Order: sequence, then structure tokens, then C-alpha cells
Amino acid sequence: MVSLDQRASQSLRPYLQAVRSSLTAALCLSNFASQTAERHNVPEVEARTSPEVLLTPLTIARNENERVLIEPSINSIRISIKIKQADEIEHILVHKFTRFLTQRAESFFILRRKPIKGYDISFLITNFHTEEMLKHKLVDFIIQFMEEVDKEISEMKLFLNARARFVAESFLIPFD
Amino acid sequence: MSIIREHTQATLSDAWRTIDIDALEEDSPANFDTATLRPAQQQPEVSEADVRQLQAQVRQLLRGGDAEGALRGCLEAPAYGGSELARDAALHTVIEVLQSIKASDMTPMLRRIYGGAGGSECLDVLMKYIYKGMAATSSATGGAPRTPTRMTPQPTGFSQIGPRPGASGESTGAAMSVLLSWHEKVVEVAGLGCIGRVMTDWRKV
Repeated sequence: MVSLDQRASQSLRPYLQAVRSSLTAALCLSNFASQTAERHNVPEVEARTSPEVLLTPLTIARNENERVLIEPSINSIRISIKIKQADEIEHILVHKFTRFLTQRAESFFILRRKPIKGYDISFLITNFHTEEMLKHKLVDFIIQFMEEVDKEISEMKLFLNARARFVAESFLIPFD
Repeated sequence: MSIIREHTQATLSDAWRTIDIDALEEDSPANFDTATLRPAQQQPEVSEADVRQLQAQVRQLLRGGDAEGALRGCLEAPAYGGSELARDAALHTVIEVLQSIKASDMTPMLRRIYGGAGGSECLDVLMKYIYKGMAATSSATGGAPRTPTRMTPQPTGFSQIGPRPGASGESTGAAMSVLLSWHEKVVEVAGLGCIGRVMTDWRKV
């Protein structure tokens, strides 16, 4: 068990490092007005109206259950994260957790209200965000989120199991 | 005569709202010809036979212990614009070479390739293959989102009992960690620019 954990933490570092360098390279945004609608300025990665301003999407995967998709474009970048889900309980916990966050998307500025298909949570960073906020802090935020979310989910799972055990015990006391 | 009178049931429906008129208009940016973004003198189409031949040569070099030559060989002939099969075969060749190289040899080898003629181009191609490798392996095995319906119901209610659903991904996990460590080394040697060039280059492997 110990060796398995060690291997996991060893592969986590290059994974996060790869995400960090890819994000740093991709977060190179400039103001770009919509070419289809006059006086509009929309994130091109969402609108998809001009193929020439969309760049090649990058996938970084740690294994088949954990991956990050970075879709860059001229004025916006969309980052989608698939969080590790080893079993049904984690699947439910991840769903509840990401739902909790996406319902409060305004407070997170860069959070997208709906994850894209096949991923658990998505972020949308536009040039207005990079103008207001520091680029390296934005990258740090995403990396920290990825680190924390795994920890959070496994903590919640442990807590849930402990609580379920306690409930089961106290439920069965009268029949003792 | 007012146009209101011309309304029929067909024109009152909302179906016309869903028509993407940008796609129909010739001058709209949605119809931008992306072929103009590719270099003018396109390399000849890479056929599957070419890739197989290269694969055989690369394997021979690997058996002979010349891993650097093997790596350089497959990076200098990227399968741009080939068929899906040819490009997959090329990707497998590159991954095979990458997996056969020891971790301690990575950085010196990359430095030698980067320092040689056309080295920057070679590492850009390597980066493209690394990203493609990660995308291909993760979507081939775990593309469909995991849904509870796909899981077998467990009568005990304890999902920890029995084989873990994630346990099947051990071998792909190992392949990924090779790609991830190569990614790190390539960024170390060639800098962030090579990621930028992967994103902006329209010649895809």
C-alpha cells in the first residue's frame, strides 16, 4: 500500500508540472472583437465562429481517469478537469462537490457554469481576466485547485465512511 | 398589402431561428479557409507503408542500442497529413522509442538533439507526439464518461469490496507517466515556446 501511494505522489508531480507549463504557454490572450457580430466581444473558444483563431487543444493525462483538456484561442482559454473517481462513492462526491462550486460560479470569476462533456469541471479564462489578474496567480489557482480537490474528495469519503459506520452501529444497538 | 397577412403556419414556427446563417454566407469568418494557414509547399502524403518501413528501421536502431538515432529518425519524418492509420502507427513508433529510453538518458539526449541541426523543429514534433499520445491513450480507454449504470451493482453496498473500477488502468498509467516525464524534460530543454508552437502549428501529427 505504501509503495502504491509513493508511486501515486511521484506521478502527481510531473502531471501538475505538465499542466502548469502548458497553462503558462496557453495563457497568452489578447483582446479580440467578434468577427460575426459588430460591437460584440465574445470568448472565441465558446463561440467557435472563426476557425482561424482556435488553437490546437492540448490534453494532459495522468491515467485514463484523470486528465486535463486545455482549449486555447485568441482571447480565451477553456480548461476542463476530469477528477479522479475510483468508485461509486467518489463519483457521487465529485458530482456534488463540483455542483456546489458551479452554482456559485460568480464568486470564482473564471469558473464555467457547466463542465464540457466528459469532464467534471471547466474554467473559462478570457483576456479580461488576464488583464485584471496576475497570470501566474491564475495558473497557481488552477494547480492548487487540482491538488486540493483530490485531497478534499478522499477526506470526504473517509468522513462519509466513518459516519456511516457510526450510524449503522447506533441503529443496531436496540437489536443487541 | 401588409406582410402580416402572408404568415402561414410554416413561417410562424421557430425552426428558422436555429439555422446557422453564418455557415451559409460565403464571406463569413465561419467559412475561413484554414488551408491558407498551412505552409505552401505541403510535404507529400505519408502512406502507411512509409510509416511501417520507418518503424522497422527504428526498431533495428533500438535493437542496435542507438536510441538517439531512433528518436531522431522518427522525429525528422513526422506523419503530417497522412491517413488516420499511418498517423496512429507513427505515434506508436514514437511512444515505443520513448518508453525504451532510460530516465537518466533523457535530458542529455534532448540537449544533443536540440543542439544539432533542425533540433528545435525536432523537439516541437516530439512535443506534438507527447500531447497526441496523452490524448489518444486517455480517450481510447476511458473516453466514455463513467456513469453509475455501467457499474455492476454490489449487493453489500460496499463498493470497496471487489475489483476497483480504476484498477484496470495500471498499464495506461505507466505509459502516461513516461510521457509526462518526457514532457517535463522537453520543456526544460526547449522552453515553453515548444508548447506554444504545438498549439499554433496547423500541421498536426
